Parts: sequence; structure tokens; C-alpha cells
Amino acid sequence: MITIPYLTAVSTYFSYGLLFAFGQLRDYSRLIFDWCSTNNLQGYAPICLAHEDFYIRRLYHRIQDCFNRPISSAPDSWVDVIERYSNDNNKTLKRTTKSTRCLNLGSYNYLGFGSFDEYCTPRVIESLKKFSASTCSSRVDAGTTSVHAELEECVAKYVGKPAAIVTGMGFATNSAIIPVLIGKGGLIISDSLNHTSIVNGARGSGATIRVFQHNTPAHLERVLKEQIAEGQPRTHRPWKKIIVVVEGIYSMEGEICQLPEIVSVCKKYKAYVYLDEAHSIGAIGKTGRGVCELLGVDTADVDIMMGTFTKSFGSCGGYIAGSKDLIQYLKYHCPAHLYATSISTPSAQQIISAIKVILGEDGSNRGAQKLARIRENGNFFRAELQKMGFEVLGDNDSPVMPIMLYNPAKIPAFSRECLRENVAVVVVGFPATPLLLARARICISASHSREDLIKALKVISKAGDLTGIKYFPAAPKKQEEEKDRMKLD
Amino acid sequence: MMYVRALPTTDVNRNTEWFTYPGVWTTYILILFFSWLLVQSIFNCSPGMAWTIVHLAHFAVTYHLFHWKKGTPFGDDQGIYNRLTWWEQIDNGKQLTRNRKFLTLVPVVLYLIASHTTDYQNPMLLLNTLSVFIMVVAKFPHMHKVRIFGINADQ
Repeated sequence: MITIPYLTAVSTYFSYGLLFAFGQLRDYSRLIFDWCSTNNLQGYAPICLAHEDFYIRRLYHRIQDCFNRPISSAPDSWVDVIERYSNDNNKTLKRTTKSTRCLNLGSYNYLGFGSFDEYCTPRVIESLKKFSASTCSSRVDAGTTSVHAELEECVAKYVGKPAAIVTGMGFATNSAIIPVLIGKGGLIISDSLNHTSIVNGARGSGATIRVFQHNTPAHLERVLKEQIAEGQPRTHRPWKKIIVVVEGIYSMEGEICQLPEIVSVCKKYKAYVYLDEAHSIGAIGKTGRGVCELLGVDTADVDIMMGTFTKSFGSCGGYIAGSKDLIQYLKYHCPAHLYATSISTPSAQQIISAIKVILGEDGSNRGAQKLARIRENGNFFRAELQKMGFEVLGDNDSPVMPIMLYNPAKIPAFSRECLRENVAVVVVGFPATPLLLARARICISASHSREDLIKALKVISKAGDLTGIKYFPAAPKKQEEEKDRMKLD
Repeated sequence: MMYVRALPTTDVNRNTEWFTYPGVWTTYILILFFSWLLVQSIFNCSPGMAWTIVHLAHFAVTYHLFHWKKGTPFGDDQGIYNRLTWWEQIDNGKQLTRNRKFLTLVPVVLYLIASHTTDYQNPMLLLNTLSVFIMVVAKFPHMHKVRIFGINADQ
């Protein structure tokens, strides 16, 4: 639920209209200039149609320096961002050898495992020396080591399911597993703001896809009722199976899924629940077990639990956890298991060590400290931003907080102003977000100290004043309140 | 400061989903009004001529954007909408929604204003009537995915 000032909405549409009009004018003049010159296609068809990359050429390239910034150090709480310059108005960017040390508010480094860790890194280096960097084979040929077997058991125990399967890439987990689980004649009902990996997997499966309004169990129930009553398109036969796909934390909104209500709706209509915990595993819940622990949902009620290790565990890859039969079936049918190279052994060791730290099995309480710190940091940052008058999305306890920008010109302005003050933020616009709702997404980590957060708040406040994104009135400061109270006395 | 609430929609097509958020209709009407003022100040013509110019320019621009250009301006959706014009993509292909009714009404209202302010005099009346006829017929539900004489059809 986003609250936009009406004038901002009107001015945002107008800005995009203006940008679009100028882009079209430039395209037409390019057409006229190129009328005389011959193209060197030699009879081949052009790689993309003229209009297909209009957005990239005329809007994205203008502010290209705000995206894809290369870094030259580990993604810790402070990171080295490489400076780039452009001689042709941002059409091409050239890297220099200089870098600036910036506060990192963009990495998904929720528990601080993104850099040297005293328990994990020595074990990863051991594993690198023993098993080397790559397994050079798929899981079924020669790519399963003892570490892989230990990892799958460890993940299954951590998440609370009987068995798990691990793949080498998080995005590929969704896009390779969903076509194996459901095919033509099945129905996938997915949340309207689901990640591209789920959309790709759903489209690749051949099943019918229906979308329900974001995080609204009432609308999900209506869609389920309608679809079950109508049956398959054209033949009206009953559906072969129905899978409802939701995410634990939605990365663009920072909202936590309403899992208990959605699970009860799915149980009523006998639909399977597929939960994608990419951002929530390891980051929320008392022992970091994700959204099921936070909201008190029994893991036996969620049929398929998926997650990635790239966010809280500082590694790569993804997992699917479910019943023993499900995992057995996936091991025989999933192409990510049968043909893709298995996850590299040092990365697997990093995940095992990170899980041990989180559960306290390494003999210290660093895991519990990290979990408490990320919750504290997240709540403190969100409360302070809201006090300053920014529009911040997301629920309490979520470490992801998007700050709404809206106007397209504020996207590069905010990003560049923050970089000038040595704070690296990630800004997102159309088409990753709806046209009107461009935002700057802040990811808080357990490795941020209180001074880091205060510095970040100062810089963001200054950038926010310059770009005019404090859409809500700021809360009055405590000193003024006391002065007023003294006056009344 | 007036605030509006924006609920996320269920439209997955990023090319048309922006039309369901609040403020679009107001922006559209304001752009038409300000372009009328602009035309009057640049060409120094009568208000009626200015409305005719705005109406004909509106016809040219919206016909090209809504009924001629096909597909989406970005490649993320892998070309599943490449055969559909913007008018056929909007609201997921559902006919007679509020947005479609509004967009059909705007050229008609512009036509009425343009004809009234030029006192129904002849060269302007013919041009205005032709353009509103083409605009309204192109938006009929029966014309969904129809390509007359193969104009604008795919190879």
C-alpha cells in the first residue's frame, strides 16, 4: 500500500512523457540521418527490433553511471567502488584504476558473512586446498563430494524439512525446478510482484499462469475459486495440479508475506504452496529460520520451500527443501541436478560453516548476536528514516527498506549525490518496478555499526533534501517538544 | 498536500500497467489543455483553430502510439506482445473497462469542442469528423486484433 502525493504522480507521468517524446524525436532524426548510409547487415536479420531496445537506448543509457558500478573489494559494510568516466554522454563508460571507499547499503549482506569471518573463511580455504575451486562435473557424474551430502542434510535440518536438494545458482533453482514440478494442464497462481526467476520458470513450464493481487489472501481465494470452477481453458477439464507461489520477503517492497492466511486458503482448496525464501532465510525469525519461524507457520504445511544462499550466508547457489519423495523425484528429473555443474565445494563449505555459526554450533554466540543486531539495525534505520519524513516501505523486522523516489530525474540525482558523499546505494526504476514507483533500495547488514548507520542517515537526509523526496511531514524533534511543554508550564 | 493510495495491480505487462495507477487521467487532460494554450500562443490563431490543431495532433500522436506501434519498448518480456498494439494490450485484452471507455471518450469530447468553437465551418469540420471516426472505430471491441486489408499485419 503506497501513498503518493497527487502532484508527484502527475509530475512523474509528465516527466516520463517528456522523456519518451524526446527519445522518439531522437529516434526519428537518427532514422533520417541513416536513410542515406547503408547498413552492413549483409542480408542477416537485425538482432533486435527497432522498438525493442527503445527504453535501453533512450532512457537507461542516459543514467547508466548509476547502475552496474564495479567494486574492487569484498562486499563488507564498507566497499571500494571503482570510479568511471564517460566521454560520450554516458553511452559508454570507462573504468579508471582509482576507487573510493564507500559505505555499502546495497549488498545483500544481511548477516555480515560477505567478508572475512573468523570461523568460516579458514574452513573455506581448507576446503579449497583439499577439493579445489570447481567440481568440474554434474552431481550425478562425479560432482558429489562428502561436503555436498553434508550440506544437503545440514540445510534440510536447518529449514525443518525431511530432505533438501542444492543447486549451483539461485536464479536457476527457480527457473529449472518449476518446469519439473508442473507442466501443461497445471495451474500456477503467483503473487503479482514475484521475482523474474519465478516468472521465467512459470513461463517455461507451459502451465497456465494466473496472478493474484500482492499479499492479499482474499483475492487469492477469489482467484482459486474462479479457476477451480472454470477448469482448464477451452476443455474445462479439472486442473492436474495447482501450485501457489509466494515469496518470504519481497525484495522490492521489503514486505513480509502473509503466510498463515495464504497457507490456510491453500489447504482449503487443496493447492500446493511454494515458498521462495531468498531474502528471508537467515535474516528473520528468532534463530534465522525464515518467515515460517517468524509467523509461527508449521513447516509441514508449506509443501515446497526454496531459498538461496547468496543473501544471508555469503555464498552462492540455491536449495529446495521438501518431503523425501519430492526431493527423490527432483534428483531424478531436475536438469539443474542432472546436467548443470554442481555447486563449488568451497562455497558449499561456506554455507555449512555459516549455518553452524548461526545455530551456535561453533561454540560461540556470534550467530545469535548477528541476528539480534540485524533486527536492531533494521528497525532503528527504518524508524529514523520515517521520522525524517521519507516514505519507506516494508514491514518492521525486515532488513530491506525501499525509499520512494517516484520522479525519473530523482533516480540519478539521489544516486549521484549519495556517491559524492561516499555512500553507495542501489536505485531501481522502470521496468523492474512499476512506472510510477521508482525507489532507492537500502539493505541493512549485521556488520553495520551504529556510527555507520548514523553517517548513512545524515547523507541520505542531505540527499533527500536536495532531491525533495521527503514526502511526509517530519516528526517534530524531542527538544522542540520539551520547549513547548516548558512554555505551557 | 493531497495523498492517494496506490494498490499494486495484477497486470504483469509493464507496458500497460502504468495506466492503472491514479493520476493518469488528470495528466492526460492537463497535457491537452496546456497544449491548447501553447498552440494559441505560438500560432496566434483563434481558439477554435487552436482546438482543431490540438484535435488533429492528438489524433496523429495517439493513433500512432495506440493503434500502430506494436510490442513493448523493452525486451524483458521476450516478445510475447509483439503482435499486439498498445490498445490491444491494455487491461490484458479485456474489453469495455473504465480505462478503455475513458480513452474512447477523449477524442469525441475534443471533436465536440473543436467543432463547436469553429462554428462547424467546412474545411475544419471535414478533417475533424474523419479523424474522430477513425479513432472511435479503431477502439471498437469488434476491432480487437483485426487488421483491415492486412495493413500493419506481421510478415
